[in-house]
Amino acid sequence: MKNRWFGIMVLVLVCALCATSCKNRKGGRRAGDNIGGSTELGDQGLASRPEGELQILTSVKFDAVLFDYDSAQIRESERGKLQAVADYLKQNAGVGVIIEGNCDERGSADYNLSLGERRAEAARAYLVGLGVDGANIQTKSYGEEKPANAGHDESAWRLNRRGEFVFFKR
Amino acid sequence: MSKGKKTICRLSLAFLLAVQTSCLESLAQVRVTKSLNEVSFLDLSGFRNGQDNASLSFRRALETDLSRSGWFNLSGGSRAEFSAIGGVNLEGGRLVIRCEAYNVMTREKLLSKTYQGEEREARSLAHRLADDLVYALTGQPGMASAKVLAISNRTGKKELYVCDADGGSLRQLTRDNAISLVPHWSPDGKRLVYTSYYRSQFPDVFIIELASGERRCVADFPGLNSSAAFSPDGRDLALILSKDGSPDLFVMDVNGSRLTKLTDTKRAAEASPSWSPDGQQIVFVSDRSGTPQLYIGGRSGGEPRRLAVGGSQNVDPDWGANGYIAYSSLIGGVFQVYALNPATGETRQISREDANYEEPSWAPDGRHVFCVRRQNYQSRIFIIDTLSSSCISLLQESERGDWFSPDCSGKYNKK
Repeated sequence: MKNRWFGIMVLVLVCALCATSCKNRKGGRRAGDNIGGSTELGDQGLASRPEGELQILTSVKFDAVLFDYDSAQIRESERGKLQAVADYLKQNAGVGVIIEGNCDERGSADYNLSLGERRAEAARAYLVGLGVDGANIQTKSYGEEKPANAGHDESAWRLNRRGEFVFFKR
Repeated sequence: MSKGKKTICRLSLAFLLAVQTSCLESLAQVRVTKSLNEVSFLDLSGFRNGQDNASLSFRRALETDLSRSGWFNLSGGSRAEFSAIGGVNLEGGRLVIRCEAYNVMTREKLLSKTYQGEEREARSLAHRLADDLVYALTGQPGMASAKVLAISNRTGKKELYVCDADGGSLRQLTRDNAISLVPHWSPDGKRLVYTSYYRSQFPDVFIIELASGERRCVADFPGLNSSAAFSPDGRDLALILSKDGSPDLFVMDVNGSRLTKLTDTKRAAEASPSWSPDGQQIVFVSDRSGTPQLYIGGRSGGEPRRLAVGGSQNVDPDWGANGYIAYSSLIGGVFQVYALNPATGETRQISREDANYEEPSWAPDGRHVFCVRRQNYQSRIFIIDTLSSSCISLLQESERGDWFSPDCSGKYNKK
């Protein structure tokens, strides 16, 4: 293919769109997803993406939160992991987190992109409920595209239905 | 006789195609009536070809197209109902094709056409003649000239590819070393829209102009930007954005000047929009009920209705120009492709049960469905004939890699 894919990337994000994206016509969201009795989120959608090249803090590692099949609920067993992430973020003001939502290989790949995003956003909502500033959180779905374990059985799938935490310097 | 033949074809296909009529015959009757029009014998012995590479390539492509159309048997000999005469030759460095087609019984001339082009256009000229023959002899559109977008991991990363409907002329469109997903054609086949992580490392939506190779980002909001599909008039995209805190269905002008939010489900995910042929409705996937299921909503909003179909999950809808929604349904742990009449709710399974079949895309003939066949954790693209139930591989066995997300061009072409 000789075409020049590297060519000009014209960003056609008209101001009107940006404006729309920053507002939530219906006002704040309801209580955080899946949080048992946690606080209101009250934020206005997702934070803008950080500008420029991200400086990823590869040495900072926290356990991934795991999810049930076809679910974006934060399980009780996973709450401690999110508490640890929240504590770390609150103690490190210059650090942000990308929550990467993932799915197992079963089901529609396109639906899994959306489900992975829901998982990342459920983890985000939980962190916000624990007092983390939503402006420091990015969500990214990999759907079923980035399994942690390449196996084809439940022992692999349970590890692949996850939200991973990638920290970056703000 | 030829008129009678055409009428039979039209009548039987009507059960499959004419969804808009209020008193539609049941889908089951397709099986009953299809034997009437199953295959016509077409005699190509009077169609001569030169022995140069281009003419031979033309001939091979023409025969493949005609048999893959599902309408013809080319080995009829004396039983032929139709005959095509003429030939393909190199004349002064150009490929010249002349073809006339007749009804053998009545001697009625059904087609008389001449085509010219460069040697390198041999295959696309063959596709054009094949589609013209299908239309002249059956009254139905063909699929030979369609192009198929697909995703493959054959390089180790998921990149975007395009090939002809016969699996030939395969070429790789992206070399991003990133993840490329869910490509869809514009109605005119000049552009495509897809999701890629290559630029921001986040899933963004891009449009590629095929002729120039220009690529521009049309959605890079915070969170997920994905699953974009062009409206039938090519002016809008239906797509999934999560910028408000949850994946929801939006319609956006392709120039990014208008954005309409069609769903507002804080605790559910939407996915996989596909437009109705008239552009007034959108079928999509939502898990608001707890599992991914199909819903239809108006293009301007309003409460969508759930399509009551069987299966524990119903995903990957593609609303054909024939009115039918092809989708993938999980039943007993296996995905099968179904066709749904949204007016009556009737469904018909169109894939075999020997493997998982997913991600259907209607061919422009409204008869074939391209889909992914997954077996033993290997994914290949297959073409299912919804009338004959034949199921063949798009690509040669020798093509490496797993293949996903086929999308066939020309869905809204009017003959």
